Amino acid sequence: MKEPTIMKGSTIMKGSTRKALGPWLRLMAERRTRLLIGALLMLATLLFAIGLLTLSGWFITATALTGMTLAAGGAATLDVFTPGSGIRFFAVGRTAARYAERLYNHDTVLRLLADIRGRTFAGLSRLSGRELARYRAGEWLNRLTADIDALDNLYLRLLAPPLVGLLAILVVAGILALAMPALGGVLLAIMLPLWMIVTLGMAVAGRGPSARRVETLERLRVRALEHLQGLAELRTFGVLGTHREKVEHEQRALLDDQRRLGHRTALGNALVTLTVQGAAVAILCLALLAFAAGDISAPVASMLPLAVLALNEGLAMLPGAFVQLGATRTAAARLNAEAAVPASDDGETTLTSDEAPSLTFEAVTLRYPGMGTTPALEDVTLHVAAGERFAVLGPSGSGKSSLAQLVVRAFDPDAGSVQLDGQDLRRLAPQALRGRLAYLTQHTELFHASLADNLRLGLPVNHDLDEAAVERALWQALWIVDLDGWVRQLPHGLETWVGEAGRQLSGGQARRVALARVILRDAPLVLLDEPLAGLDATTAATVAERLDTWLDGRTALMFAHNCDALPLCDRALALHAAVKHAFAKGDASVLSDPRD
Amino acid sequence: MSRSQAQTPARASRQWLAAQSREVRGYLSLAIAAGVVGGLATLAQLGLMAWLISAVVVHESALVTLWPYAAALAGAVIVRSLAQWLQETCGLEAGLRVKARVRAQVLDHLAALGPVSLAERHSAGSTAQLVDQVEALEGYIARYVPQATLAVVMPLIFLGVAFSLDWLAALFFLIAAPLIPLFMALIGMGAQRLNEQQFQAMTRLAGHFLDRVRGLTTLQLFGRTRQATEEVTAVADDYRRRNMKTLRVAFLSSAVLEFFASVSIAVIAIYIGFGLLGYIQFGPADQLTLFSGLFLLFMAPDFFQPLRLLAQHYHDRASALGAAEGLRALLAQTPPQGPRMAPLDSDDDTTPLRARLTEVSVTHTGRGRVLGPLDLDIADGEVVALVGPSGAGKSTLLQVLAGFVDAESGEVLLHAESRLAWLDQRPFLMQGTLAENLRLVAPEASDARLREALSAAQLGDLLAALPEGLDTFLGERGLGLSGGQASRLALARVFLSDAPLVLLDEPTASLDPDSERRVIEGLKQLAAQGRTLVIATHHPAVMAMADRVLRLEAGQLHSQDVPTSPEALS
Repeated sequence: MKEPTIMKGSTIMKGSTRKALGPWLRLMAERRTRLLIGALLMLATLLFAIGLLTLSGWFITATALTGMTLAAGGAATLDVFTPGSGIRFFAVGRTAARYAERLYNHDTVLRLLADIRGRTFAGLSRLSGRELARYRAGEWLNRLTADIDALDNLYLRLLAPPLVGLLAILVVAGILALAMPALGGVLLAIMLPLWMIVTLGMAVAGRGPSARRVETLERLRVRALEHLQGLAELRTFGVLGTHREKVEHEQRALLDDQRRLGHRTALGNALVTLTVQGAAVAILCLALLAFAAGDISAPVASMLPLAVLALNEGLAMLPGAFVQLGATRTAAARLNAEAAVPASDDGETTLTSDEAPSLTFEAVTLRYPGMGTTPALEDVTLHVAAGERFAVLGPSGSGKSSLAQLVVRAFDPDAGSVQLDGQDLRRLAPQALRGRLAYLTQHTELFHASLADNLRLGLPVNHDLDEAAVERALWQALWIVDLDGWVRQLPHGLETWVGEAGRQLSGGQARRVALARVILRDAPLVLLDEPLAGLDATTAATVAERLDTWLDGRTALMFAHNCDALPLCDRALALHAAVKHAFAKGDASVLSDPRD
Repeated sequence: MSRSQAQTPARASRQWLAAQSREVRGYLSLAIAAGVVGGLATLAQLGLMAWLISAVVVHESALVTLWPYAAALAGAVIVRSLAQWLQETCGLEAGLRVKARVRAQVLDHLAALGPVSLAERHSAGSTAQLVDQVEALEGYIARYVPQATLAVVMPLIFLGVAFSLDWLAALFFLIAAPLIPLFMALIGMGAQRLNEQQFQAMTRLAGHFLDRVRGLTTLQLFGRTRQATEEVTAVADDYRRRNMKTLRVAFLSSAVLEFFASVSIAVIAIYIGFGLLGYIQFGPADQLTLFSGLFLLFMAPDFFQPLRLLAQHYHDRASALGAAEGLRALLAQTPPQGPRMAPLDSDDDTTPLRARLTEVSVTHTGRGRVLGPLDLDIADGEVVALVGPSGAGKSTLLQVLAGFVDAESGEVLLHAESRLAWLDQRPFLMQGTLAENLRLVAPEASDARLREALSAAQLGDLLAALPEGLDTFLGERGLGLSGGQASRLALARVFLSDAPLVLLDEPTASLDPDSERRVIEGLKQLAAQGRTLVIATHHPAVMAMADRVLRLEAGQLHSQDVPTSPEALS
């Protein structure tokens, strides 16, 4: 049985961690000073805690001994003020360092978040239509968000803490070594293997289940969505239980992996406690032996185990973070795979005039990825003369949009060629090509921004219009789509906020805003997919008439269900799924020619 | 008005969460018990360490003679580690069990609510509830709930021990102790505000990013990708600057906790030091020894540790509360009951009945009455076409028969054990092979039967053209099948099931003429098998094949056309 997502997951799992995380680590390295300061603040917090406990232990033992000597009538002096103020200093310093560390590192994480999103977006924006079409389906966006979130915390969970933990071990070993070199050696011999286990060891232990968990969660999501979308069939056919079993199966797999990860984390955490506390006990016994032998003083002997105890804070979070490394790596590898696809903008930037071009499809065949062997277009030949308006009519799924996708080079044909003024499109860079054309897609895409911002998107990229001219252009475009009156009576006018995916507007209004955006591009080649869809008859007639004037002197390729839904055209062609093959081959397919 | 209705949603959510934890109280009690044992082992460890130092330094005992204490110390460390492991594992198990339980409950409830109730919600939203909101419960159950008890119990135990050692030192702990509820409130307020604000801002930020990713094609078409990339970075940076202002305040609450923990250690250390030197003349200070002094010092960090852990787990609580609110609202919806099954006899005893509707009416909130009141008898083996303008109640009538919607009044009866088959404009295709998609409705069907059903549904030529045949993988949302092919696949499912009553909602809508003809051909075969077909349709060819055409207008049965082929009834 074929399960593409799983196969993809397992190949990613085999990739090396360095390769997956490499690009992101390099991105973070651009802020290395910040990262270093953040890590040093973490270390400072830990050292203040160690200092506080250690000095307190030393102080109590020293005062106890001095007190006993005094009580026994002996002479003894002890400077109580230096250690006293040292203790207060460490106490206040620990609080301040902790506060500063949290604030500074959150700032860093938020900066990294901006970097990571910017980089991911830049990567995604280079994807060709072919890749975008493949990713468009279903839960891709959700997955993308989850993957980015997994990287947002890379620094705070996986980079700084192990480094700080290691440094703390070295510092404490140094303190021990100052008192007695052998003790420092003993501590390193115990703690360095522990450090290796809670970082690398936990990463290996969690590798399989944590990478799998990401995939299982996604499969659970897909199955759950199926279950809900197919509820009518599943219920009536009486097979709800059968499919529920599939959902349950994914949930069980997920819980099993989570249980495995949880048990390994718990084991790692218990190991940290056992080792750190055990090390403190061992150092205590050794220090007491050294004291008995007269090698070190009593206050020093009682402060050393306290320094070891304080290490717990620096190591406690590591098992939980590293056991999930596999998940982070999977997320990173997926983002790399998605955002690092080589751009398809090959081709020289050769552009002719601003005149309306001619458009030719020559024996074009197009297959969509994942659509099996059935081509979306097969052996299509079509010529649109310069300045001609050509309508392609047919039901959805008959291949209309595919023609437009070819013109904007969202896809390149699998066979044949598309030519602009006789020049093969593949020799034009998409950016340069798209500067010369305006395309109203079938699906209306508006952005969560103001009306003006949405419209300005349509202006030519390097226009030399001043603010007033831009304003005039916006209103002119709004007039063509018959929205100027409506916008004028809005309280915020052009600054009205358009909801997510244009949800604050009605379908017809959103459609017309998109059309106005296309008009603003002022391009010599225009592609309009269902330009009047969702408009009532009166509005449609008004817009069609104004579009008719605007289209003069431009080459236009238009798509609709039938001819009534379009401005006047020179020629029309009826396209049908079943006869797609046949229509393309000859002039016989031209059903109507309104100007004849 | 009952008290449960008067309470705030937040309180109801807390109660719902408490009810969920009660379901796993065995594991949670074990986790708490393990936490207490771990705390006692920690006390024993700290005490023994202080005792060893005191014995060697003050009483000048040789360490070798103290080996039983050293062994006990090692034992305490081992018990402490084991207890910690047990606490975490039990909490984990409790969390996983609650997730499994709630997810099953939500899944069943969503299924019981049926497709019509679900259509009012976004299916992606319901999936998020089923997956993410249920996931959000784990941290709360596994970590927060046990820790909330331990954060009260453990400081009290420590306080008791401290009192027995030196009441004045214990007083320093005690001064902190009444502050504990204050701490918790502080942590709570800080964490809650932090959580809410961050959550809102993060949602907006993620929304902006997703909005731009979703519109990537448009941005590419207009050559604005570079500008949009800069914008994505700028918006995230702006979010950072605004967020830092609130973080500066929000982090203060944890700084306060940190401050008290640090200062208590400092105050206790200095008090004990001065007491041991004999500088402090009042209270129990002259009773202090190196043992009690060190023991008190060792205890100080662990006294605050449970509270610090609770603060760490606080965000688990906030996200669980958020999830609980959504889940509670979902589970509170009442599912429809569906039609009653009973043996049906017709009045004249000649033609057996398949379904009988008596005075049935359906009201939708906001739309008023959408169907009825109407009476309708459907005979066994009859083909009934429902026609009429959109919104006339055709789909509602089918939904009532299928049990997706309850009749508000009147009675819907189906002949005993009428199994159903359903086909609508958006056939359900699951991720899997062609065979899996078919076997969904007939798990036992052989390959031969699948092929038979496919050819009956006019998909024989497609199957023949597929190199991998029945094992061809159909992607999400049936990628690779056209609308017409998907409709015919759904029809093949109907052929595979032996359901006597088949409900079809616009089976030929938006199909090209060829697909339409093939689907109607399939429907005729179904009728020939003697099944009862109820079809909502606009299509003349479908009406032509019906025994009876019923016209619905504004929810009323307006005319009952004479059966086009009277012999089909006999």
